[in-house]
Order: sequence, then C-alpha cells, then structure tokens
Amino acid sequence: MAKIGLIFNGVWSHYALATAPKYRDLYELLYVHELTAEAVQHLDALAIPFQSNQLVLTEKQAIIYDFLKTGKKVFLEGDSSTAWLDAQWEDRPVNNYWWVNDPTNPPVSETNYDHPVYQGLTPRQACWHTHGVYTRVPASAEIIQTNATGDVITWQTNEYGGTLLATTLDPLVEHGVQQITHLDNYVDRLTYWLSGEQPSAARMTIDAAAYGAGALV
Amino acid sequence: MLQALLISNGLQGLEKYYVSNELVHYTTCFVTGDFNPDLTPYDLLVVPNGSDHVAMLKIKDQVSAFLDAGKALVCCDGFFTAWVPGNQWLMDNSRRTLDVRYTPGPDAHGLLENLPLDELNFSHGMSGWWSCGYIQAAPGAEVLLADTWQRPIVVLDEVSTPGRMLLTASGPLADVTYAGKSETASVTLYRNFLRLLSSETVPAHG
Repeated sequence: MAKIGLIFNGVWSHYALATAPKYRDLYELLYVHELTAEAVQHLDALAIPFQSNQLVLTEKQAIIYDFLKTGKKVFLEGDSSTAWLDAQWEDRPVNNYWWVNDPTNPPVSETNYDHPVYQGLTPRQACWHTHGVYTRVPASAEIIQTNATGDVITWQTNEYGGTLLATTLDPLVEHGVQQITHLDNYVDRLTYWLSGEQPSAARMTIDAAAYGAGALV
Repeated sequence: MLQALLISNGLQGLEKYYVSNELVHYTTCFVTGDFNPDLTPYDLLVVPNGSDHVAMLKIKDQVSAFLDAGKALVCCDGFFTAWVPGNQWLMDNSRRTLDVRYTPGPDAHGLLENLPLDELNFSHGMSGWWSCGYIQAAPGAEVLLADTWQRPIVVLDEVSTPGRMLLTASGPLADVTYAGKSETASVTLYRNFLRLLSSETVPAHG
C-alpha cells in the first residue's frame, strides 16, 4: 500500500513518476482539488512537487499542518508561497547548463551530506539545477544546502510536529520528465526517507497502459 | 483579433509566456474544483506546458463541441488523459535523449516557415531537451515534426474534427518576444499557427 501522498496538480511529470512501475506502490496521487484530511490519514508522508497550485495549497494548508502535527513528514520542492509557508521563496533564472559551461561552479556550493536524503549521493546527484532560492526560512530551520551567495536551497524544520523538508530542487518533477538520467539516486533516497521503503534498484520505467483511456485518474 | 482562453492551473510565472498582442487577446481561466469554463466566446483554447489534464478530461465533451464548431486548440503539453479528440500523448523513456533529432514532415500551411529547427534539436549543445515521449497521431493528421524514430512530435490535426489542433509531445510553445531579442523557435511555430487561424477565422468578437 502506498505510504507517500503526492499532491497532484494534474501535471504530467507528477503523473509519470507516481504511475511508474518502480514507484506506483509507494506513491498515491492526491488530486489537489479533492484533497481532504481523510484522504491523508493513512499515509506516512506527503510530497508537494514543483508546479503545484499554490493558491489551492493555501486554501488547504490546514490539512498539511495537521498532518505534520501528527509527527509525519512533508517534502516540498520548487517554489512556494508565503501565504501558507513561513519562508520567503524568490525566483531566479534556472541554470540547466552549468555542468557544460562552468562545471566547477554548480548552483549549490554547500551540502550537508549527513542528512539521510543526501547520504551517499555525489555532488552531481545532490544538485542538477535549482528553481529559485529561499531568502528567509523559519528561525528553527536547519540548513541543508546553500548556493555560493549564501541563499538557502534546502532546509528542514521540526517546528510543526513532524519533519518538513523544503528545497528549491525539483527531484520529483525532473524524475518524471526523465531527461536527467541520474535522478533515481536522489528520488530513491528521498522515497526511503519518506516511507521507510526502498524502491527497486532498477532505473525508472514507464507503463504505457497508464496513459490515455487507461489513465489512473 | 483572435480571442484565446488560456487554461492555468496556477503555475508560477505562466502569464509571462502568453502576452496579448496584435494577433490575439488572452483571457486566463484558472482551474478550480468545479472547473467548467464556457468556451463559446473564444476562437482558440490554449493548454500550455504543465497543465492539469485531470481538469481537461472533465471538460472533454466541451472541448469536442468547441472543435466541432470549427474552433482551434493548442496543447503543448503531455496530455496523458484521453481528452484530445483522435490523438494521444504517451510518455516514453526508452530512447536516449542524446539521439533525439527532429525532422520536418509535410507542411501544407507553412507552419514550419522560418523555424530555426536546430534550436529545438540542441540547447547548449545538448539534444532531447524540448519534447518528451510522442504522440499517437490521428490517421490523416499532418505530422509536422517527427523524432529520430519517426514518432510524431508536432501534429496539426484538421481531420478528426471540423476545427484545428496543434499538438506537441510536451514541447513548450510561447507567445512572447522580449525587447531586443528575436523570436525563439517555440514562438515562431506558435505564431505561424496564430497567423493561419487569423487568415481563415471569423473572429468571435468582431
């Protein structure tokens, strides 16, 4: 049974990841417009991917914070809104090509590899590109990753009961897109941290039957 | 001037990529829990990259009626649900992005005119960046661009309905030119389609 609820904005990359044979028994798509407290009760963790609907998340923020209050985990990637999160996300140009143009200058300069998600990852596996930065995080936050100018890329807090891990990386969306081939490493570490279940070691594949008339929505 | 309805599921920055101009006026429609937009005032429905295809499936019948009335659809996204008449996008990761090259097919309306195809083939020297997966195109639809394995990547469908559909295998299109910069390939293709519609469409709003 799935242990991680993926809050779903109807976006194909969210869908591709959650219906992939490698992950479909671990992630459950929770369509954001139908998100209720009852729908998350049986889950161990929530994942809020990049390209989420911040307006609807704001309307439904009590569900997220009540979930955290029970001691569970929430993972948030990409952008966010101060309307529901006590942190300031700011947009920045996305640099997809640093490893071609300037491989000695990645978008993340410091990483705490003691964090369970980052243990065993190489620097390339720990950062491919970022979608903006955090210029303010909660006072209680532990900083996991920063860029060269000191802006926060990844942070974590236990302030709300459980553990909230937030990053401007986008592992779930990019792994769904499948244009970066090393993301099984990050997503598998993340999945294990969120659920206690280790995905298979094989590379993510796609089940064509889940597309079109057979779509699981 | 064309009247277009731009579907938005609240993605940050989406409005920056579709800016009203001399060809088209955009009205943004946000997806809600009771999503059921009135399409009748519009000439063109735009479903951009990163859209909500659960919501689009809910209005499948309205989209079909819209196209049956001779209107137009642009969907430049991975339409994983079955809401586009006659065509279906499929995700696929069995081919290496390193090997992806696009080749032009028949182009009766000149939608590929002035298209810098290498921009879609390469970005900073890397290929496979623009699209994902492929389209199962309707029989008789025009495959404007195919990939290395002859799979449809950009499709113009004028046969499945009385209307027109421009579909990409998730390759983003846009309608914006930043001051002092030339159009990118994704803008050129999109605006060529707008010009085709403008030349033959009786605008819904005079």
